[in-house]
Amino acid sequence: MNYGRELLKGNTDSLLLCLISRQPTYGYQIVKELEKRSNGYFQFKEGTLYPALHRLERDNLITAKWQILPNGQQRRYYYITERGQQVLANRLATWQDFSTAVKAVTQAETI
Amino acid sequence: MGSNISHYLNKFKACLKIDQTIRDGVAEELYAHLEDKSRELEENGLSKEEASEIAVQSLGSPELIAQQIYETHAQGSWKEALFSALPHFLVALLFTSYYWQNVVYVSIILALTVGIAIYGWHRGKPIWLFPWLGYYLMPVVVTGILLLSLPQGWGWIAALIYIPLALFVFIHIVRQTARRDWLYASLMLAPMLVTFSWFSSLGTGSELLANDWMASLQTNALWIVISFIALAAATIAFIRLKPRRHKIMSLLIPPLVILFSVTMASRGNIDYWGWLILLFALSAFAIPVWMQARAYQ
Repeated sequence: MNYGRELLKGNTDSLLLCLISRQPTYGYQIVKELEKRSNGYFQFKEGTLYPALHRLERDNLITAKWQILPNGQQRRYYYITERGQQVLANRLATWQDFSTAVKAVTQAETI
Repeated sequence: MGSNISHYLNKFKACLKIDQTIRDGVAEELYAHLEDKSRELEENGLSKEEASEIAVQSLGSPELIAQQIYETHAQGSWKEALFSALPHFLVALLFTSYYWQNVVYVSIILALTVGIAIYGWHRGKPIWLFPWLGYYLMPVVVTGILLLSLPQGWGWIAALIYIPLALFVFIHIVRQTARRDWLYASLMLAPMLVTFSWFSSLGTGSELLANDWMASLQTNALWIVISFIALAAATIAFIRLKPRRHKIMSLLIPPLVILFSVTMASRGNIDYWGWLILLFALSAFAIPVWMQARAYQ
């Protein structure tokens, strides 16, 4: 089992919510943004993004709207909902606590 | 649209057995993604063909995406699962309390079923609709069978006027449901198969209207209730389970319970035609397994 991949899998929803909370965005832009912000660390099969987005939409954490660009191309933009913002805030707080605890334990061991 | 992209999207759509509107929407979204990716690669100097090939590869297996999207949309909530199972529980209640002999109770349940089925049909066919639809179709079929049992002469009139109309309604609804997903058609027809299994085990032909047949129905009420409870449990499992193969397996619960119940109730005393109709009705439950196996080939 790839530990890094498992960690990413467990936190995909939080990462997506975080990106969408910053600005309404669409699938391809999310992929690019994740790669850019993580300096290439987060790379996954792009197709797996859409089931995750649809799951978040089903759980009312995000909503989606089709928009037509001036060149006629259509894109499905995702927006975070109020519930999504609450869930994100809770998850970030939990992650912060978890990260602090892990750091405290591992640092204590290295002393 | 490049041939790589269109081939990819066709494969994706063929694998995804969900509501056509949702399926087309997801395919459109993937198309927009592939277009963006291809355009970017072309700007970096790749040919159109190479760009679309790489775009398709980075998106990953269309079967896997279809499966994951299916699992997102095919799993109903607990509320939907219980509402789907409600008609089975109502029928079980009719037999538990012998209300099936009371015209008022039966009429109320029938009116409720028809109302809910029509409401759901015109509200985008939600996942909870299909068992209700099965009971909605049941009177259509049963009326046809009873009309054929009328004295000579009348039966032919029924066959000429009623049956073509009933068949049209039946086939239209089954086709519309199967177009969305044939698994839903199986779920819809399940109560009918359970009912026919019991009909066939308790008597055939003119015995259907005989008084001793009604008495036999009453004697076996407990086993009939168990069959409908099994159907309700299978429906809840079907709606709640995510993977498609698990949904199919859940549809195999009722035939096993019914076969056991019918054999116990009749102590194996079923005539040749009874067994034939019973096994035919029960084998119809295995159709989804057979179709899925074919789809995987």
